[in-house]
Amino acid sequence: MSLLALDDVTIRFGGLTAVDSLNLEVKQGEILALIGPNGAGKSTVFNLITGIYKPTNGKIALEGKSLAGIQTHKIAEMGITRTFQTIRLFSELSVLDNVKIGAHCRGKAGLFQAFTRLPGMKREEAELKEKSMEALEFLDLAAKWEEKAKNLSYGEQRRLEIARALVSRPKILLLDEPAAGMNPQEKVVLVAMIRRIRETGITIFLVEHDMKLIMGISERIAVLDYGKKIAEGTPLEVRSNKAVIEAYLGSGKFKSRIRR
Amino acid sequence: MAMKKLLNNWFAQALLFLLALGLTAYVSQVINDVLPPYVLIIGLFIGINLIMALGLNLITGVTGQLSLGHAAFMSIGAYSSAIATVNYHLPFLLGVLIGGLVAGLFGLIIGFPTLRLTGDYLAIATLGFAEIVRVQFTNMKITNGAIGFLGIQGSTTFPIVMTIVVLTIFAMVWLENSRNGRAMLAIREDEVASSAVGINTTLYKIQAFAIGAFCAGVGGALFAHTTTFIQPTDFGFLKSVDILSIVVLGGLGSIPGTIIGAIVLTAAPEALRSLSNYRMMVYGLLLIVIMIFRPYGLLGGVNLRQVVRRALMWPKKKQSGGRA
Repeated sequence: MSLLALDDVTIRFGGLTAVDSLNLEVKQGEILALIGPNGAGKSTVFNLITGIYKPTNGKIALEGKSLAGIQTHKIAEMGITRTFQTIRLFSELSVLDNVKIGAHCRGKAGLFQAFTRLPGMKREEAELKEKSMEALEFLDLAAKWEEKAKNLSYGEQRRLEIARALVSRPKILLLDEPAAGMNPQEKVVLVAMIRRIRETGITIFLVEHDMKLIMGISERIAVLDYGKKIAEGTPLEVRSNKAVIEAYLGSGKFKSRIRR
Repeated sequence: MAMKKLLNNWFAQALLFLLALGLTAYVSQVINDVLPPYVLIIGLFIGINLIMALGLNLITGVTGQLSLGHAAFMSIGAYSSAIATVNYHLPFLLGVLIGGLVAGLFGLIIGFPTLRLTGDYLAIATLGFAEIVRVQFTNMKITNGAIGFLGIQGSTTFPIVMTIVVLTIFAMVWLENSRNGRAMLAIREDEVASSAVGINTTLYKIQAFAIGAFCAGVGGALFAHTTTFIQPTDFGFLKSVDILSIVVLGGLGSIPGTIIGAIVLTAAPEALRSLSNYRMMVYGLLLIVIMIFRPYGLLGGVNLRQVVRRALMWPKKKQSGGRA
């Protein structure tokens, strides 16, 4: 069953077509990777799914419900959360508060509760703290709960972003280059963590540059080049796909256009 | 342990809160009877400035929305409370409440269109709004235009101001430690990330704006009933800057910082009175020196709770293994 479906999605920024008639399905419970050369439109796809950009054309649907015109915060509430390519933490706040804020859309308390502090609000706060500490433990950050987010190491900040996205129990987690800037050991830990997250029933959709990591972790891979999907399939299929090799290494006909 | 359990009880906390308010009222009444009027009036203005600065701290310090129009909300509170007590003969405290509510309502109305803007653009928009309000009050009949609103009763007393100050401080601390307050802090830190985790950024910005405006309105109402005479020029751009200086100098987002800022910046011009002509020069110098040595404000970036807990070596710290 498809959990998230992109149907003929196109977005143009002026004359540039960043994503061009993209059809993509994310299946329930899988680990799907989206790869492609720099500027292929991968992060744009994430921004489209989370409602930061509105598609010029086409439809995006979560479990059959269209996401057209729905605001970003509502989309998060519906069960799509994400991390960012460049870390976007609430850096002056504590690690615990960062995660607590991640569960914002699952909370109910409003201004009335804030000012009356009735037992119901206290209970919600206590549950929230427990849930947040659980998420921190899951990502091996529990010992740092009191630190300011900006004082964490780079790898820890990346994990905190995942914890923040995870604590609201999303249906699907979008990871935008989760391994960027990590050292090999941190990457090994990350792969294990992503697998463990999937085991809890959360579908994973990630954008990544690290081929080794992608080939090792993902069950399906979609390849984007100049906004167009040029291939889709298992890691093995994609690896031997001619169009993919051309996109990454060039066709050999125009040596000057070779890209990494 | 039993003590802690008792402290977690809602009724015990409510009782403690009322006790704190009562104690404030009593102590400030005693002070009121002892201190000379000159000192009292300074204390009164510290309190009024503090109430307004706490409101602006919520908007600018906590939610991160730069507002240069706080004096406008103050003037709306001042005029509407004056109209309520003078023209409609309503009781003073009801007038203060009306002042706050009308200002809050305007905060709500102004918040909708302007809070789509960010940073400098929002600052300019709030500045424009403040000028519109000032010009409007200058040309209205009911406010007696540029001549000024006369004959307001001097009902504001030191105990009343101090009680409202304590009430405001409590409210702000509660708000900051709630789901709403965390959402506001998140918006200050990163708006895109906030909406990505499910925070309705517009809603919380408007909430902060309305509550902040309410505080300014209350402050304005107390101000009007202190000076007994208000005119539009009392609420110009410089007044907005004065309140903003309190928040920035104290430390953006810090409630204890705002308290210290209000005390220092309200008392300093009075304390420097002996310097006569050089007074404002020294005052300006003081601001510069503080901002050089404490660029994040006097208490900016200081987690007072953590400092106090570490100083007292709170035993809980060891149990929860806070050390990294």
